[in-house]
Amino acid sequence: MTFTFSDEQQALRKAIGAFAADHSDEPTVRALAETDAGFDPATWQLLAEQVGVAGLLVPERHGGAGAGPVELAIAAEELGKCLFCGPFLSSAVLATALFVGLDDSEENAALLAALAAGTHVATVAIDEGAGNWDPAVASTTATESPGGWTVSGTKRYVLDGATANTFLVVAKGPRVFAVDADDPGVSVSPLRTLDGTRKQCDVRFEDAPGRLLAGDASAALGAMLDLGVVMLAAEQAGGAKTVLDMAVGYARTRFQFGRAIGSFQAIKHLCADLLVEVESAYSAAYYAAWALADDSADGTESVCLAAAFCADAFGKAAADNIQIHGGIGFTWEHPAHLYLRRARSGLALLGSPAARREQYLTAVLERSPAQQTGGRS
Amino acid sequence: MTTDADLRSEVSGWLSEHWTAGGHRATFLAQAVDRGYVVPRWPADTFGLDLPDGQARIVEEEFRKAGAPGSGQDRSNLWANTLLTYGTPALRDVLLRPLLEYRVRMCLLYSEPGAGSDLAGVRTSAVRDGDDYVINGQKVWTSSAADADFGMLIARTDLDVPKHQGISFFFLPMDQPGIQVRPLRQMTGESHFNEVFITDAHVPAVNMLGQPGEGWKVLQTALMYERAVLAEANMGASIRSGQHGDVDVVDLARRHGRLDDPLVRQGIARLLSLKAVNRWNNQRAQAEARQGNSSSVASLGKLLMSTIVHETGRVQTEIVGPEAMLDGEDHPDGDQANFAAMNAYFTSIGGGTDQIQRNIIGERLLGLPKEPEVDKNVPFREVKRSG
Repeated sequence: MTFTFSDEQQALRKAIGAFAADHSDEPTVRALAETDAGFDPATWQLLAEQVGVAGLLVPERHGGAGAGPVELAIAAEELGKCLFCGPFLSSAVLATALFVGLDDSEENAALLAALAAGTHVATVAIDEGAGNWDPAVASTTATESPGGWTVSGTKRYVLDGATANTFLVVAKGPRVFAVDADDPGVSVSPLRTLDGTRKQCDVRFEDAPGRLLAGDASAALGAMLDLGVVMLAAEQAGGAKTVLDMAVGYARTRFQFGRAIGSFQAIKHLCADLLVEVESAYSAAYYAAWALADDSADGTESVCLAAAFCADAFGKAAADNIQIHGGIGFTWEHPAHLYLRRARSGLALLGSPAARREQYLTAVLERSPAQQTGGRS
Repeated sequence: MTTDADLRSEVSGWLSEHWTAGGHRATFLAQAVDRGYVVPRWPADTFGLDLPDGQARIVEEEFRKAGAPGSGQDRSNLWANTLLTYGTPALRDVLLRPLLEYRVRMCLLYSEPGAGSDLAGVRTSAVRDGDDYVINGQKVWTSSAADADFGMLIARTDLDVPKHQGISFFFLPMDQPGIQVRPLRQMTGESHFNEVFITDAHVPAVNMLGQPGEGWKVLQTALMYERAVLAEANMGASIRSGQHGDVDVVDLARRHGRLDDPLVRQGIARLLSLKAVNRWNNQRAQAEARQGNSSSVASLGKLLMSTIVHETGRVQTEIVGPEAMLDGEDHPDGDQANFAAMNAYFTSIGGGTDQIQRNIIGERLLGLPKEPEVDKNVPFREVKRSG
């Protein structure tokens, strides 16, 4: 039932929280953000071994947990709270969802097992610069020859492109191809990102050999993006919670004019409004996760709503947190800007809140045909 | 103890014997009070059955199923609950039963022109005179004052102690020469509230709830029941908005040819999102309560609702464009947009302003310290006042 977490789900939350406390403190996050890879493969594998995060979506027969959107959202939220550095969104959510949604070949079975173990990282290459992650507008070409398929095209904003072992490339059609990152036809150009905790690359494919993933690519990509934006929303709900706690903690202990600044209504009311945002973002993200899990009729609406709402809520919370901190919040040493960076890039990743709201309204209108006929009364 | 199933069949059997849809309501209510079904959680010596909450809900459910009135008043009857908790035996003997049978009409005499957000700053005075108290002052925002038999009144009985300590709580008889009721016209043109002018009105001392000076404590209990009732009933803010129902902003935009306007669409989407999120928050609060976790989301609904109603007025105004300059029956959409925009203040001011709500959220949920209170520990007589 929506919003009722099982014992297993609560245990998962606790386990990820404990792991994050041990392996993803602020100095670790800062250090990893400075590296080219952006994460520590050993930590990612340990998280896979100890808590099974990398394999949550992987079916049990391939060594995963066979879990659903709600469990995945719990992981996203907990990892989002501490800006965990790792290929969770790119590999464990997006790429894994696409593998699971499409092909059931032998090759995929081995790949899924490696993804679940955290020893292999895959990522999805969709956007070509439009910034809407719409697979329908992909112009990347795929050519079939006796030796198999090759793909050619340039992809932008590819998450963890520099560390991925496999790219899932969306070509015209849409069709999805698995391309080996080591192939000479693949050139990866790391991008300097605002948010160092989530690396992106431009990737060029020149006659790169690809394995066509069988199945309804359009449907699988749609399902993958729905899942991806909800996980991003859950991550944002988690990040928003952390910055609110940070702001409230500071407002309680910072004294000016002989009083804790949180006793001033100017500060208190900012915090109160943020609590409304943070709690509502949490409700929106988990409602959408449950809608996906239950395959509800309002799935599309709630996915788009959660995406827009949580991105905006985290954006506001991260920004207000800096204002509440005043001067100290403006320094490099303070962690507030790390969250602002994550929040700001989240306002564009996988599409903008305004675009999501538009999709939300379109979905609402499509689902209530009675309203379409409302004439002048 | 009766099993749930036995209780259910007992109640439904009793109802099928005593309740008919078109039957005499007063007679039925009297019988239901005698049977203990209207306040099943209350003790047996005060019309109750001493039932635990789960079983009391079974009684309520059976009443609801049958469409019969009156049950569950141990949760929902603000007046009777306050009276039961703090009333003198003499007052309970006279009023408790009539209240449960809906034979007494009540109103609230809390706010004053000088005591809105700062309700503990009431200045209406109550002075002991023999067996009575004599009341002087002015109350405001009172619904149903003209028809009421009694008003729940807070008045100051001691000016020489700090503000919270000098207040007492009364059931004031409304039908007497010292009470004058004047309708208050709201900015929307509607009148749902009254000003009540009290000049040398009398109230018997046995009508005091709690001890002299305990009025603030009694008020907290009364407010708790009022909030519970409001939360459950989700009462409309206005008769008119009830008649019009939820204006369908999508239909409004379509009729005005604005449904293709991207700005209008963003506004509508934001509004519908807020409504959905508010629903989900409530759903979540219920789920968390079922799991025995205290939930902070329930306390956020009023603030969110205030955003929703203001946003509704804004979006409607945006859609109707120049018609928002017009009013009246000839311009129903403009009229409605203006009404929505103005009536939104009912929610963001009434029952605690948004600013007071934010203080409550900041202090009680987030644990932020209170502002220094300059009137704390100061005899009320010395507290600064407006004007």
